[in-house]
Amino acid sequence: MKKVLIIEDDSFLQGLEANKLENVGYSIITASTGEEAMEKINEPKIDLILLDLILPNFDGFEVLKKIRETEATKNVPVIVFSNLSEEKDQDKAKKMGASDFMVKSNFTLDELVERIKKVLKK
Amino acid sequence: MDELEKLKKEVSQLKELNENKSDIISITAHQLRTSLSALKWIFKMFIDRDVGELTNEQNELMQKAYVSNERMLVLVNDLLTLSHSEDAFIKYNFKKINIIHTIEQTIFEFSGELSKKGIELIFLKPEESFPELNCDEEMIRVVIQNLIENAIKYSNKGGKIFISLKQEDHNIIMSVHDSGIGIEEEDKPSIFKKFFRSEKAKVKDPIGSGLGLFTTKNIVEKHNGKIWFEKTDGDGTTFFVSLPISLKV
Repeated sequence: MKKVLIIEDDSFLQGLEANKLENVGYSIITASTGEEAMEKINEPKIDLILLDLILPNFDGFEVLKKIRETEATKNVPVIVFSNLSEEKDQDKAKKMGASDFMVKSNFTLDELVERIKKVLKK
Repeated sequence: MDELEKLKKEVSQLKELNENKSDIISITAHQLRTSLSALKWIFKMFIDRDVGELTNEQNELMQKAYVSNERMLVLVNDLLTLSHSEDAFIKYNFKKINIIHTIEQTIFEFSGELSKKGIELIFLKPEESFPELNCDEEMIRVVIQNLIENAIKYSNKGGKIFISLKQEDHNIIMSVHDSGIGIEEEDKPSIFKKFFRSEKAKVKDPIGSGLGLFTTKNIVEKHNGKIWFEKTDGDGTTFFVSLPISLKV
């Protein structure tokens, strides 16, 4: 079973995302703040990280930097899943090694699942 | 304090105000989208029967709620784009770009939607070498996106869209032709007006803010360009955008 780390501060959205991914067969761990995310990325065998950008403590970019610096996660694909949509944020995330950038409100959870499957297949 | 100092101070205050305004809009859009995402996902769960069976009436209401929510999302997205396009000229980032490449990239973004609707999009690329265009690439991308989006939205299944590009003197002219619902005579004067949507357009697709063409025109004019449309023989519409190749900013 593939393991996905969901980093999302809105508990309601996090619940919906986690529920959906569990239902389609992923194992889920979650983090609600930047600080918690920094710890959770050290958990063993994470296959994919779903990363929100606006987070308490450290923002998503700082977390992404840490993910890329950490031995265990430096090659783990990261999908940025945020409601920020500005090109400068998208460029920055891609430059920092995000595999994909999705604006939450433009996608349904089914479409998110499709995207995750595609990224994991690569 | 002399006049020059005074003016400099005013300019910097205006810049600051403008940045504050952009920040507020961007944060508001983010917060609105967070709630709207939650609603979108919940309505979809009901519609997909993830949380149990629905009666026909319940299903119909959920479908309506979903569409209404989508309309709100489109409005948020379009207001955000409009706000960017209306930012003071200083925020436009002019550089020379390969417009053919930008058009091709934008077409690629629509490949999923095109195949879903069974619409064929044909890009008639110029055969000779083509000049680089001095423009704000992000904004010109919005222009191309809006025109393609409309062409798809108002086309019927199996329709064809043609995009062409040519040089005329010191301008480039891009055209987007569709074989869709067309524009009625009485709607012609209002097409580029803020929040305007024709009755025909609303019937064809209820989701739309009426800000797309207004924003598109805004961006084209900030590039000292022109935008216009022609109704062709039979159904359909062709939109033309003319942009100066080497605009001095």
